[in-house]
Amino acid sequence: MADKKKNSKRDSSFGLIIYKNTAGDRIFDIVNIIFFTIFMILCVFPFYYLFINTISNNDLVNRGMVTFFPRGIHLNNYLALLNVTGLGQSFTVTIMRTLIGTALMVAISGFAGYIVTKQHMWKRKIWYRMIVITMYFNAGLIPWYLNMLMLGLTNSFWAYIIPGMVAPYNIILVKTYVESISPELEESALLDGATTMQVFTKIIWPLSKPILATIAIFGAVGNWNSFQDSLLLMNDASLFTLQHRLYIYLNQTTDLGSLMDSAMANRIASGTLSNRIIKYTISMVTVIPILLVYPFMQRYFVKGIMLGAVKG
Amino acid sequence: MVERILWDRKNKENRSVKWEEKVDIIKQSSISQPKKPFSYVYWVQRALILFSTVTLFLPAFFPARITDKISKYCSIFTAAVSYSNLTANVGLGFRYISALTFRLVQFSGIALVVGVAVSGIGGCMSLGNNKMRLRGSIFPMIGSAFLLLGDILARNAFGRFDLELKVAGKKLGQLEPGWNLNFFLVFAVILLVISALLFVSELRNEREERMEMQERYKLFLYILPILMLAFIFSYLPLWGWRYAFFDYKSGADLTADNFVGFKWFGYLFSSEVTRTDIMRVLKNTLVMSSLGILTSWFPVAFAIFLSEIRSTGFRKSVQILTTIPNFISWVLVYAIAFAFFSTEGFVNDLIEALTKSVADTNYLQNDTLSWIKMLAWGTWKGLGWSAIIYIAAISGVDQSLYEAAMVDGAGRFKRMWHITVPALIPTYCVMLMLSIANILSNGMEQYLVFSNPINKNTLEVLDLYVYNLGIVNSNGGAMIPLSTVVSMAKSLISVFLLFVANNVSKAIRGENII
Repeated sequence: MADKKKNSKRDSSFGLIIYKNTAGDRIFDIVNIIFFTIFMILCVFPFYYLFINTISNNDLVNRGMVTFFPRGIHLNNYLALLNVTGLGQSFTVTIMRTLIGTALMVAISGFAGYIVTKQHMWKRKIWYRMIVITMYFNAGLIPWYLNMLMLGLTNSFWAYIIPGMVAPYNIILVKTYVESISPELEESALLDGATTMQVFTKIIWPLSKPILATIAIFGAVGNWNSFQDSLLLMNDASLFTLQHRLYIYLNQTTDLGSLMDSAMANRIASGTLSNRIIKYTISMVTVIPILLVYPFMQRYFVKGIMLGAVKG
Repeated sequence: MVERILWDRKNKENRSVKWEEKVDIIKQSSISQPKKPFSYVYWVQRALILFSTVTLFLPAFFPARITDKISKYCSIFTAAVSYSNLTANVGLGFRYISALTFRLVQFSGIALVVGVAVSGIGGCMSLGNNKMRLRGSIFPMIGSAFLLLGDILARNAFGRFDLELKVAGKKLGQLEPGWNLNFFLVFAVILLVISALLFVSELRNEREERMEMQERYKLFLYILPILMLAFIFSYLPLWGWRYAFFDYKSGADLTADNFVGFKWFGYLFSSEVTRTDIMRVLKNTLVMSSLGILTSWFPVAFAIFLSEIRSTGFRKSVQILTTIPNFISWVLVYAIAFAFFSTEGFVNDLIEALTKSVADTNYLQNDTLSWIKMLAWGTWKGLGWSAIIYIAAISGVDQSLYEAAMVDGAGRFKRMWHITVPALIPTYCVMLMLSIANILSNGMEQYLVFSNPINKNTLEVLDLYVYNLGIVNSNGGAMIPLSTVVSMAKSLISVFLLFVANNVSKAIRGENII
């Protein structure tokens, strides 16, 4: 009964139309809600499960006793990671590439996106197409790899940064956005004697902040998650990204405790640090930054994906 | 500022010529351009400089490759910026070859890079007015001097290396000076002559007070560095396609001797092993892609059903929480799979707790239903995210349509079917066309992280196969030609499919998808 009342209240928004709630509708609603609830749980529970297993008493975890609730909470596993050889290095590399790579990508996309809107550039169409085509066409994995060898971008930190600087998709996003900014603003600045660079830094850049924030966030996540370039181009373990490191650890069946700098780290107060727990904890460390920026990200989703639907 | 804009607007109600063009016409007319015969010489000069820029990245042009211990992938640019890359394979050779010899090689590279860069400045300035061109034509002259220096240094490196080897009485894969040594000599002289000619020709022109450049060229120069980056990372790899036509051995050069034409293309079908491999991999690829296409309506249904939920709070939380998996990498997806389905994972723990018996099946280490499992992981990761575009489309549907339908007595499902679904079809078509165009590209990350010796045969898709063939099991590079052939075929077919999909979309809906 109460349910019906609620529905009629909502239907008043449709003016005079009275909405009839049939039995079929009810069943549909219930099934619908159940389905979405289950899917939501499927999406969130894995992260929760990993997390509780890293903070619970290790002996209980090893016996498979921690399934839904944490037991014997402690943070020693995270502290123990400090002793894993090379993990800190990977963490630094990943953070550096995320910061530097994203900053350069945003600056270049912002500028390029603005410049390609200038109709009177010499042969503009050709250059713009030359950038856009790279989005749909690539030479293939092996030619790309040989090219990177040729450029000396193997076993070098710059291999993470330079290839990602020109992102055609993001340039198109910025271009579309800049085109929506009133041209009068730019025009009056130009008539007042501003140079193209001044127009860009004083007018276009500040006004395009929403789209720049969007590409920055997506770029940062992409950088953080990238794994393929590390796998293909790096032999030097000190340059592995965190994802690559995690991939290696996940596939390791030997005792991960041997990775620890000191044998003592293997045995900590909260029980034995098994392979399983080390794997979970490293996974958690890799995913936590994403989960932390996620709340800030999601208001840019629609903007990002919608603008993407607009063609170049 | 605001008043100014309003004033401008009032005065430009009737704009027949775009204002940008107006500004450009004014600026263009006042800035001088090179006169007829010399304007062509300028184009020759710019073309030469542009060409020399490309040579910096092509290992074939590296003039100072004194020994085969220097990687054959070493370009001038690499030699200039990375001494460690240059000498990576020299190793024990340093016992009797002094570091100075290799430093000479590097310095030769640096001189060439500087020469090209300095010439490049001149090339850019040649787009300006008389005064700018006059100043600018000095730069290629300096640049060609650097190129000559680089050439001399390279010759010296050869001489020194030869001498040191003779003293030590050893061999270290010594190479003869190649054609490229003379190439840079000739190139530098030509550039020098042309630039000097232009310099003299500019002396006769009267000079302006300030250096200026037409706006359209300025804008081009702004975009030029970005174009160069795009060229280096997206177009230059095409140069690697030539490996498909050679018998390649690691360390050997691609010469006329090992040119084999279309041998490797035929090899795909003539070799029994490769043929069965390719068939298996193609089957996996096409099955995975088809499953993706068959389930491509999932996000549409997800969006429609979600929009039918009345509570805004619930809707929002579904949307937020189901998009999380899209933002984690495939490695992390595998980590989660590991935590749930490995021997000591969640599922086994749960079964143990419920049945009080030992359960230690490793669900990741078998190959039953691999395709379906991959599809499930893909759906788990991407469903919420793919639905967003449809949710946004639904929110753009005119509400009065629903109201009118209700007046006409349309029930809930009728409204969904006759209003919401048609509103989503255009977006769906674009997505479908794109996924058809991408039928050969499943990406390798997902299949790489999930593959193990047991399920390898069913998981190996084309992208992963290329990686395994060309990089993991490449037998010291012997498999590089074959994997290049596969890469190449894949790229060409993908472009063709995209083209077809675009034309289909144009024919049906009158709209391009790219």
